[in-house]
Amino acid sequence: MFNKIAFQNRRFALIYFFFLLFLFPAISQSQQNPQPGGQLVLATTSDPKSFNTIIAKETSTSEAVEFIFDGLTKTDPFTLKVGPNLAQSWEVSEDGLEWIFHLREDVVWSDGVEFTADDVVFTFNDLVFNPDIPASSRDIFMIDGQPFAVNKVDQYHVKFILPVRFAPFLRAMSQEILPKHKLEKVVKEGKFNSTWGIDTDPREIVGTGPFCLIRYDPGQRLVYERNPRYWKKDLNGNTLPYLERMIYLIVQNSDVELLKFIEGTLDAYSLRGMDYSLLKPIEQKNNFTVYDRGPDLGSQFIVFNQNPGINPNTNKPFVDPVRLSWFQNRDFRRAVAHAVDKEKIIEIVKNKLGYPQYSPMGPAVGFFYKDDVFKYEYDLNKAKQILKDAGFSDRDGDGYIEDQEGHQVEFNLYTNSGSTERVDIGGILNHDLEKLGMKVNFLQLEFNTLVSKLTSTFEWDAIIMGLTGGVEPHFGKNVWTSDGQLHMWNPRQETPATPWEKRIDELFSEGVQELDEDKRKIIYDEFQMIVSRELPVIYTVLSAKLTAIRNKFGNLKPSNLGGVFHNLEEIYIK
Amino acid sequence: MWVYILKRFLVAIPMILIMALATFLLMGSTPGNYLDTIRMDPQVSEETIGYYQHLYKLDRPLLEQFFYWIKNLLRLEFGYSFHYNVPVTRIISARLLNTFILSFASFVLTWAVAIPLGIWAAVHRNQWIDRLIQLFSYIFLSLPSFFIAMILLYWASQTGVLPLGGMYGPDYDQLTLLGKIGDILTHLAIPTVALSIGSIAALQRIMRGNMLEALGQKYILTARAKGLPENKVVYHHALRNAINPLITLLGYEFSSLLSGAALIEIICSWPGLGSLMLTAVRSKDIYLVMTSMLMGGVLFIIGNLLADILLVKVDPRIRYD
Amino acid sequence: MINNNRHHSQFQLALQRFRGNKTAMACVFILGFLYFSAVFAEFLSPYSYKDEQRQYSYCPPTPVHFFDQGRLTWPYVYGLQLSFNEFYKREYVTDVNTKYRVKLFASGESYKLLGLIPTRVHLLGVESPGRIYLLGADSRGRDIFSRLIFGGRVSLSIGLIGVLISFTIGLLIGGAAGYYGGRVDNYLMRLCEMVIMFPGFYLLLALRSAVPDDFNSVQVYFAIILILSFIGWASLARIIRGMCLSLREREYVLAAKSLGVNDFHIITQHILPHTLSYSIFAVMLSIPGYILGESALSLIGLGIQDPFASWGNMLSDAMSIVRIKFAPWILWPAFFIFLTVICFNIIGNVLRDCLDPNLKGN
Repeated sequence: MFNKIAFQNRRFALIYFFFLLFLFPAISQSQQNPQPGGQLVLATTSDPKSFNTIIAKETSTSEAVEFIFDGLTKTDPFTLKVGPNLAQSWEVSEDGLEWIFHLREDVVWSDGVEFTADDVVFTFNDLVFNPDIPASSRDIFMIDGQPFAVNKVDQYHVKFILPVRFAPFLRAMSQEILPKHKLEKVVKEGKFNSTWGIDTDPREIVGTGPFCLIRYDPGQRLVYERNPRYWKKDLNGNTLPYLERMIYLIVQNSDVELLKFIEGTLDAYSLRGMDYSLLKPIEQKNNFTVYDRGPDLGSQFIVFNQNPGINPNTNKPFVDPVRLSWFQNRDFRRAVAHAVDKEKIIEIVKNKLGYPQYSPMGPAVGFFYKDDVFKYEYDLNKAKQILKDAGFSDRDGDGYIEDQEGHQVEFNLYTNSGSTERVDIGGILNHDLEKLGMKVNFLQLEFNTLVSKLTSTFEWDAIIMGLTGGVEPHFGKNVWTSDGQLHMWNPRQETPATPWEKRIDELFSEGVQELDEDKRKIIYDEFQMIVSRELPVIYTVLSAKLTAIRNKFGNLKPSNLGGVFHNLEEIYIK
Repeated sequence: MWVYILKRFLVAIPMILIMALATFLLMGSTPGNYLDTIRMDPQVSEETIGYYQHLYKLDRPLLEQFFYWIKNLLRLEFGYSFHYNVPVTRIISARLLNTFILSFASFVLTWAVAIPLGIWAAVHRNQWIDRLIQLFSYIFLSLPSFFIAMILLYWASQTGVLPLGGMYGPDYDQLTLLGKIGDILTHLAIPTVALSIGSIAALQRIMRGNMLEALGQKYILTARAKGLPENKVVYHHALRNAINPLITLLGYEFSSLLSGAALIEIICSWPGLGSLMLTAVRSKDIYLVMTSMLMGGVLFIIGNLLADILLVKVDPRIRYD
Repeated sequence: MINNNRHHSQFQLALQRFRGNKTAMACVFILGFLYFSAVFAEFLSPYSYKDEQRQYSYCPPTPVHFFDQGRLTWPYVYGLQLSFNEFYKREYVTDVNTKYRVKLFASGESYKLLGLIPTRVHLLGVESPGRIYLLGADSRGRDIFSRLIFGGRVSLSIGLIGVLISFTIGLLIGGAAGYYGGRVDNYLMRLCEMVIMFPGFYLLLALRSAVPDDFNSVQVYFAIILILSFIGWASLARIIRGMCLSLREREYVLAAKSLGVNDFHIITQHILPHTLSYSIFAVMLSIPGYILGESALSLIGLGIQDPFASWGNMLSDAMSIVRIKFAPWILWPAFFIFLTVICFNIIGNVLRDCLDPNLKGN
């Protein structure tokens, strides 16, 4: 098993290596004269919730506005270094508290109005930090409950003053900047929260990005046209983007999406495991290429409820005290971790196109990923031994194990309905736990019901869940610090319940103030070691990100973290 | 007659209110609410959720929420969709027409095919053509419509004759009016057929039964005995009496025109109310559900009334006082 | 009394006519066979519904060999080895050196026949460690044939129990409405209309979310039946009410009334039995609704829960073009749902034709 993992990581490295090899010719190709024009047709599974990115953070929304707005900075999807975008450069004071951004002077909003420091100040002071607006990103920008001061220096310079040092600051500066001249009035009238909803005239939505929304048919499609005033130019001084139009078709059923891709309507398609066997053989014939972009960021895991609290309404404990004592027992969780057959899960659920995960930062995050954490190979005998040593054994010969007081080990395992993947993972795990002598009721619930158990009623035993991930470890604070609301196994603690949770709290407050990347890595390495040792969540597997793209685009640089079309403005039709 | 209609409407109001209350309680008292979807995002803070809770009055008792909604209803305000953060009427109206187009097309196809088929089968009772029709009706009655849609889509992807889902082609905007209609019609084909096939089979059976019943009546015997040509006997005398009972069905069909067919819409990417409702019910977007339920209820009552009135018109023996 | 006799003879006449219909009788036999196999599922299936062998993921149907080097021999199967090809497609390599004999009345997992007799005997089996997949395996290497038989238990019983419940409610409410007429009729019919007015699928979902989530699988099964019957009773009640409206004017009912027999007695003894023969086809025609209802719930993951099998949740596994393409045998549950539904439809319709007095003369 250990060899296998090492092999898979090597494979991961190899993929990246091949990526680079593949990219160099692509970059040199871009010097040939790309022709403007043409369109890109993509699919998305659901309607955007809104076009207001301050309010809505769902993927459907961020996907819909991705190419309309820009931030001050942009993270390079390959090196993960923060680079310039609307800000061409910046300076930071010795103590790391004062940042001055030099804005580009050639940027114009898509309606012709000039982009200035006022827009930046407006975005932060009047939108993100406005107490009347439920800005979803505010939590990131509030440091110890305090906002940072944003001041205009002159037309093209903005100064940020932080209350304390904040390591992810530059990365957080990818926050989209919104136009003051369009939104100032509605903010003053207190109507911002319902502005730029899905019933807005698309021409009202003004951005600095390469494309403008021109049409939205609910349930059908989003149509974008190139922004003729976009600031970026290619090496020959031609205005970008090259593409004339971009269309998102809203296709709810992924099978239909697949058919539409094969037929030729769609230009790109994200593969599920088994699609690979179907698409890879017809690559040449149908003139597309399947790109393996490496492991996904989003994780899937099992979590046990360790909440000792009491329901104030019924005066009953959230978790049955007997069960709670098992779930709080690290050996119990270790035994379960040894019962996760990752290899077969990857084979069955991901069609062999996946990666095992052991630590909260998956291999995709690159720099902060730590490979040599505690790993739990699939070994039911070992799991049985651990359980036996911890006092769990079959005392009455009924095939199920009991704890020391003779309580039969039985609990409910939930997951959300409609995810075949999680149902399969749960089924496989359930089967193995049964072999260990645990009686597990595996049930699927509606997503909302499940989340409400997790975050407000707290009455559950074990859940299989998924969370999206990111490159910046600090943005997972809500999950890992003991007062976080998504600290699923025991949320919103007033004081950390265990020494290791206390240590993680300390690591997170140290990590956010440490500006030296290498020192930061040491901090978050320790955090990953603690999590893999204490197993508050037991990780399962990560999918491989596979995307099939038609062979008609030039300058294509599919990346794992930045998406396939992160450099959309440079992409052209060959 | 008018008094009868008025009376029916007066009865309908408490009925709809009770239904609305039942829906509201059912949706509100079961675990989970809309905000849970937002809660799962690690980057959304507690205050944000609190803000929405307050905005949507989710922190108030259920009954209070309900009466608040009723109060607004009197001012013709149907509430906001939690998910889209805009008035529900705007979301529904954007899709109303699409659902109507699909339902209407399937309605027309069903009746236009099923009635002649039923007559044909009845006239040729127990001959091979009748047996063939009955065989196919049994088969189609027993296939779930989403399965048929899936097969049709797969077939379309293999042959390329019909577009795969959606409502317009990519170049819809550039087409002439005639081209636009043609474009929508080709996109309509698969969902319409998938929706209609089962109802064609069912309606055909009803029509066949009615026709057989009519052909067995004494007056047909009399007509034949008088020496009327067979065509006239069948299409003039029997047909009229066989179709009459179906007219009430028309009224019921009316009430289901706007309820949408969620699974078909999802599979065929048809932007109708069905798929919208499915997500709304599942994510507990209460006011969106309430409003479309209200709409369905009103249509149901109108449809029933229509059926009763039509019945009076075609059958003079029935009378409402 | 005389009336009752006449009624019975009429019903017998209809039964006779029904027996004469070959298609309908074939359907009765098919259904009978399906129900029989559901009852004896443990005995008929080689494996349990949750017997999972991960190295046989999507194993195709195992060919059973009758000839060994040209000579007729006791049937056997070969051992199989899973590998993935360059396109990550599953390929099973036959290992011709390992042969496993097929065994009749093989000893396998222990169970209780009919819930009473403990035994280990299965109709069919194969020498271990070989596996026999008559209809192929699902993603986790569970035998689809066995799961189909076990799944039939759920899917076939859901229709029967469901219709029993909704029919009882429908009979009582429809009977009361039809018998009393007037205001009672009015109120009860408005109640029916209210239930019918809800779009069924969404009501199904809303009610499903009201099921307590610490229910175990058996409780979920009964909850689903209850929900489905709750949606189904109203239309049955309407049909029965219509019949009762005309029956209550019959002489024998009026006679019983004038004799002072109480209402409940009249409804249950004198009116409802007469509606029975006419509503029996309505029952037959409504059973498919329960089977399809469960499969629709399963399609969004809220039906019978894994590892328990139902045709609905097995079908939901198959609702993917790619999976069908590489493992077409996972479509078997669709075939069985189709077969059952078509049988109930044919029986129902033929019964109606046989019972319809207007067609009697022809």
